[in-house]
Amino acid sequence: VFAGVRQAQWLTKTKLVEGLPPAVQGIVENPALGLQELEGRVKHAVSHARLWDTAEVAPRREQYCPVLFENLIHICRLMSGKYPSLSKRMLARNCRIAATWERESILLQVRGLSGVLMNSMTPIPPVASKEEILATKEHVLETFYPIAPTIDLQEVNVYKELNDTGQCFKDGYPYSHPHTLFFLESASVRTNRFRPEQLRAKMLMFAFGNALAKAKALHGSDPKVLEQPIVVQSVGTDGQLFQFMVFQLNTTDLVSSDGVKNLVWIDSDQNLYEKAQCVPEVKKGVVTKPAGISGFQPDTFKKFLALYLHGTV
Amino acid sequence: AGAAPHVDLGELRSLACDALLQESFYQNKQRPFLYRDQDHTPGPFLTQLVSTLAASLSCRNPLLAASSLDLNPEVNYYWHHGEEVVVHGHRKGRVDPVRFQIDDNPHLQIRVPKQLPEVVPLESDLGEVPVIDHKPSKLPLFKRQYENKVFIGSKVADPCCYGHTQFHLLPDRLKRERFIRERLEDQIEVVYRSNGIASLFAWTAAQAMYQGFWSEADVTRPFVSQAVVTDGKYFAFFCYQLNTLALTAETIKNNPRKNICWGTDSKPLYDVVEDGNVKGFNDEVLIQLVRFLLNRPKEL
Repeated sequence: VFAGVRQAQWLTKTKLVEGLPPAVQGIVENPALGLQELEGRVKHAVSHARLWDTAEVAPRREQYCPVLFENLIHICRLMSGKYPSLSKRMLARNCRIAATWERESILLQVRGLSGVLMNSMTPIPPVASKEEILATKEHVLETFYPIAPTIDLQEVNVYKELNDTGQCFKDGYPYSHPHTLFFLESASVRTNRFRPEQLRAKMLMFAFGNALAKAKALHGSDPKVLEQPIVVQSVGTDGQLFQFMVFQLNTTDLVSSDGVKNLVWIDSDQNLYEKAQCVPEVKKGVVTKPAGISGFQPDTFKKFLALYLHGTV
Repeated sequence: AGAAPHVDLGELRSLACDALLQESFYQNKQRPFLYRDQDHTPGPFLTQLVSTLAASLSCRNPLLAASSLDLNPEVNYYWHHGEEVVVHGHRKGRVDPVRFQIDDNPHLQIRVPKQLPEVVPLESDLGEVPVIDHKPSKLPLFKRQYENKVFIGSKVADPCCYGHTQFHLLPDRLKRERFIRERLEDQIEVVYRSNGIASLFAWTAAQAMYQGFWSEADVTRPFVSQAVVTDGKYFAFFCYQLNTLALTAETIKNNPRKNICWGTDSKPLYDVVEDGNVKGFNDEVLIQLVRFLLNRPKEL
């Protein structure tokens, strides 16, 4: 996707805000959550995924990226001992998503496997105030003249407009609100992985797709400004670098580029650790780099956990 | 082990049903691949069930709160037992130990930093062990040995070096329906039991090796681990106590200790899933599962 996130913004009629929204920042900084004690467990989780999980010398990215994700989610899930309402969440793997919309007479569709989706029984409350939403009217979407905004997108003949959210789940599913999408870039070969900018664009497109599908299911297909904005979060990682995103769908009136816009908060390129040394580096009989995880950044996990807890705490 | 837990059974029942309904009913999935039925519904259901129950019970069991959950780990153990005479080759006529290797892939396992308490004292003798005379390669489990290794699911540096509970999913070719079709109903429980015994022996013995014990330095305390073997609907529970590693021809001579495995027959967790409802949910199986997850040393 050319120009990554900026192109995705135009396609989804979204305004970008750098950093995480205040609601999530508040959770990160809340001392009552006891995030300090979790630091040791997170370090073990990283060591397990990167160093200990195999009888071989070092696990490959295809193995350690999903294992690290599972370990971090396991730590987050154990918080449901402290916050019982967290058990009202369900992870779904290999969900297919499909959403269709029109932007300035171009018909667009998001389809595909959206990775791992965490659903919740209760929706996340809006993170932007009414004033901030109305203020987006003033925002002008960045265009890429003379480059068409649909560059690098696949042009297909859509015979069946899938307006029914791609129906990942049947009606009556109790965990009906998409909460967070997780994208794991676990290909070992670097060219098979999405680069950070492209990953962020993909996260935005799929968060938008899920939110749009939910909006149409709740309020019908007529384009309108939503009374109750829908919030969907995204987390993307390659096993070391994390991208955090909170998307708020304010309007399904996407044809024109005027009026209220959608909002996205992005916290990019957060390293969880600097280096994972599987075998100590020894030069001339002296250990120059000991084995282990170096450069551990606890704040990155705090943000991961804050996004997990968001909406419940 | 232990008295009736003071947990909200209704809450846990609804979590279990939600997990089952999600994987078998609500989530729209493509048709299962040929002979891969277990990957379609029972596998994901087991993963969801264990992860949500363990998280929910972690406030009652501090050991779970410090646990490590492995998905699809590898467990290996290598040992010598008995002797045989070399048949061919330049070493013909010499006496060699018989070598065994187990390479296991549980669906899920929980590792913890502290050991589970012993069930019976170390020197207990609860019965006789049957003697089998033919070579291990006659049994399907030991047909081929590729690499001799010992692994509990994680390297020695991991602080979670003791095993708590493993969860095994029976493969498609050992489906109940197949046994019934071929009129081998009496072999159904054999599958569960052999899986439980073999996997738990390998796991507990590997844990003991990680702590420095081996056939000539036998364990000074018993190693206890649990396992649940299931095909997605029927669950069988096993508890294993490793009392001895001394199984080689020399060390077994004066070794009175025996390893012990307790197990249940397989029982169904539910009858059928119909129209978004779980019919015939069996609380007993859930309670047993909860008891297993709550198991911990007395001082915790």
